[in-house]
Amino acid sequence: MENSRLSNNATAFGISLVVASIANALLVAAKEKSPKVLAFMKGLTGHHWITHCTFIILLFLVLGWLLSRANGGEGIRMSSGSLNITVVAGVTLSALIIVGFYLIVG
Amino acid sequence: MGGVYWIENTPPLNPMKEILLMTHVMLGVLSILASLWVFVDALNASEGNLERIRLLSRFVPMVMTAGFLVAGYWYVNLYPADKAIILKGPWPFAHDFFMETKEHLVLMLLLLAAYLPIVASANLALNHDARRLTLWVSALIVLMGLLMEGEGGVISMGVRMGLLTH
Repeated sequence: MENSRLSNNATAFGISLVVASIANALLVAAKEKSPKVLAFMKGLTGHHWITHCTFIILLFLVLGWLLSRANGGEGIRMSSGSLNITVVAGVTLSALIIVGFYLIVG
Repeated sequence: MGGVYWIENTPPLNPMKEILLMTHVMLGVLSILASLWVFVDALNASEGNLERIRLLSRFVPMVMTAGFLVAGYWYVNLYPADKAIILKGPWPFAHDFFMETKEHLVLMLLLLAAYLPIVASANLALNHDARRLTLWVSALIVLMGLLMEGEGGVISMGVRMGLLTH
């Protein structure tokens, strides 16, 4: 019977997915509420959305890579159950933040 | 009266714009269907379908990325004209809420799609933890993908409503 433990990359990029999702939601609020942040993001690539996407995608890739090499290459120790809940809850929460922001504040 | 646009100072009809728009929709539908297939196969994971699960789980992010790039080009370069029509029409919420949420939720969809092959690469027939996570991730892709399709429909209707009322 195969060890049911999730792979190093599955754990690392799962955590990275959650962090990037929450960062995505928070960045939405930041740029919508702060003209300076929006202007800065526009200035970097010519369009705020391109800057936004580039940052979040890079965050996901780089953080996932770093986490997979944590603890001397052994990665992050996290139970599969906890990771599962974290991924689902993190993605759902991030989506609710974005929807809630535009419903209430936007 | 030529073309479809009746509002002053709008650009003439551009078929490439509509082709790009529909291409991103089709790629989105393809990735939803592929993810649904991964879900069903993972639910019934066995040695016989592991290779198909792995192939499909890699297909999902490829198609999703292609759709994302096409949509991104369309959004940055071609959407402003539609946005102006929506905001002048009776359905400004089609942009103010539906497009604004869509352009940011779709990023999470892309990340989920990128994560799917990482999780699905395990032996899902024996590794129940990986199988459970694969089911959740593929299900989230399907649900969020359908949400994106629905939002896109409202946005398109917003353009139509804006055109019909002028």
